Amino acid sequence: MNEDAMIAAAKRLGSGPADRLDVEATARRVLERLREQPAHRLAWIHVQWVRIAAAVVIVLGGGFAVHQMWPVKETRGHPAHFVADDLSDLSTDQLRDVLDRFDEMVRGTGTTLPEGSSDLRELDEQQLRRVLRSLEG
Amino acid sequence: MAQPLPRTETTPDAALIAAWQTGDEQAAAELVRRHARALARFLAGAGAPESELDDLVQETFVRAFRSVDRFRGQCQFRTWLMTIGGNVLKDFGRRMKRRAVIPLDEMVRDVTGDPHELAEASETVARLAAGLKALPRLQREVFLLRAQQGLEYEEIAAALATTPGAARVHYHHAVRRLKETVK
Repeated sequence: MNEDAMIAAAKRLGSGPADRLDVEATARRVLERLREQPAHRLAWIHVQWVRIAAAVVIVLGGGFAVHQMWPVKETRGHPAHFVADDLSDLSTDQLRDVLDRFDEMVRGTGTTLPEGSSDLRELDEQQLRRVLRSLEG
Repeated sequence: MAQPLPRTETTPDAALIAAWQTGDEQAAAELVRRHARALARFLAGAGAPESELDDLVQETFVRAFRSVDRFRGQCQFRTWLMTIGGNVLKDFGRRMKRRAVIPLDEMVRDVTGDPHELAEASETVARLAAGLKALPRLQREVFLLRAQQGLEYEEIAAALATTPGAARVHYHHAVRRLKETVK
């Protein structure tokens, strides 16, 4: 089959079924289907999703920008947490050294030593931790 | 509801599209009347079974009217419709694959008309239809847009978001492969 014959056949291709199509009925049915699921509603849903996505991006992006411009300073709101983390890395001797420096503070604040203890140096590791935590409030 | 647009056969598609965008249903109906048969020929040529043709044409128009905001006049409305029709047919083919396979020659066979013409047409057209079936989708659509619908390469390229040169290459590949398979 040469190209001209091919083109001639292509022009006939599907012409029978197309001629038998009831165009008026097709037009009516298309309008019915459009009314059943209006484009405007789909567009409205699409727009709402875009708005929600935009709002999320603005909130997250704004929060990030604020954080970058004014970094949140460490506050004393949760000192026990950070000190406790530090404490767990210290040996008993290191804890004793720390406590030496706080000796005067302990006396000054009137912190009560555990039952039966007269000197901080007599305390074991767990007792030292409890004392430190009581100092932190 | 918008005031219906007074229309004649010469009312441009663009005016009907604009009227539809303001809610004029009769403008949409007029667009269906204008382009439904050409679209049906394209879909049938691309392998749509006649029993499904009306539904596929409807679905194409429904999708087109719902997304008409995306039509920027880059090509004719009819050409744009055919690209949507190609997608509708592709989706239909996927659904059919999950159910049952319909042979292409059954899809495109014209079962009415003059017996002599039918015999001749059925032979040539069925051979072409079988050859088209073996082509990649893009080559098949470019071939149909060019050979069946008589479109220029520039128009085909605009509709398929490619270049006229690429459209020409697809067409010639299609013709070469059809010559090999349709003897």
